[in-house]
Amino acid sequence: MNQQNGAPGRSRREVVRAAALLALVGTAGGLPGCGLFEDEPDPPPAPDPLAPLITGALDLAARYEAAAAAVPELAERLRPIAEAHRAHAAELARVTGTTLPTATAAPPVVGDAQDRSGVLRGLREAERAGRNTARQACVEAPPERSALVGSIAAARATHLEVLS
Amino acid sequence: MSSELAAALAAEHAAIYAYGPIGVRLKGKAAEQAREAEAAHRGRRDSLILLLSQKGGEVPSAAAGYELPFPVTDEASALRLAIEIEERTAAVWRAALPATEGAERTSVLDGLTDAAVRATRWRRRAGITPVIVPFPGRPA
Repeated sequence: MNQQNGAPGRSRREVVRAAALLALVGTAGGLPGCGLFEDEPDPPPAPDPLAPLITGALDLAARYEAAAAAVPELAERLRPIAEAHRAHAAELARVTGTTLPTATAAPPVVGDAQDRSGVLRGLREAERAGRNTARQACVEAPPERSALVGSIAAARATHLEVLS
Repeated sequence: MSSELAAALAAEHAAIYAYGPIGVRLKGKAAEQAREAEAAHRGRRDSLILLLSQKGGEVPSAAAGYELPFPVTDEASALRLAIEIEERTAAVWRAALPATEGAERTSVLDGLTDAAVRATRWRRRAGITPVIVPFPGRPA
């Protein structure tokens, strides 16, 4: 087939293949300016490993705030936890050099506000998942971040204690 | 590397000692909570002794006695000391996190987490609000 198609065909295929390889290198290796096309934007910088912990903290804070608003008799118990999650997000943002979003996403659905135990159950599930994420992040963190992330994991465990 | 873990062991020795006078002043559920806490501290102490012995580093032993930060004369002061003991222990465990990695980091994190949870449990029992702190173990 190659011989039948002749040299120009093969060289074209090789160029395409080389271009594909280059594009792969450009994406994976992050070599700016090495793409085939000059106007190709540089690949975005890899997100900080703690970025998911920041969005997680903001999400948890919003859940507690929504639950406290929907079930006022739980507010006294839930508001300090919401504040703790906001404090975690702020500290993580400071450490990672991230700017926290000013506008938060739509408040999460609390569920049936009459069903107090259902609301608490939902919070427990979210908090438990968040605690597990923070534990994993603490074990993987470099030494200089391990204490902060460890405190956040421990804090989330104390939130579960308050919800119990 | 092991000096932070040795400090954690020293803190566990002190916590075990403190739960003696604490338990004497508590009754019922609170006394049970103190017994559980003391047992947990003994468990941590034993694991640390094992770990530090394996590493071949310094293995501090318990002092004959410890000076309590304030006299424990009634239920209120016993609860206050229990909270303080758990907060101090949490701080020492937290300080050991950067010196560890992998499975050792996980076990140090458990030490911090358990102490933080017990501090919250004691604050609840003592009726102290807020029952949580944003960054358990972090120096004030």
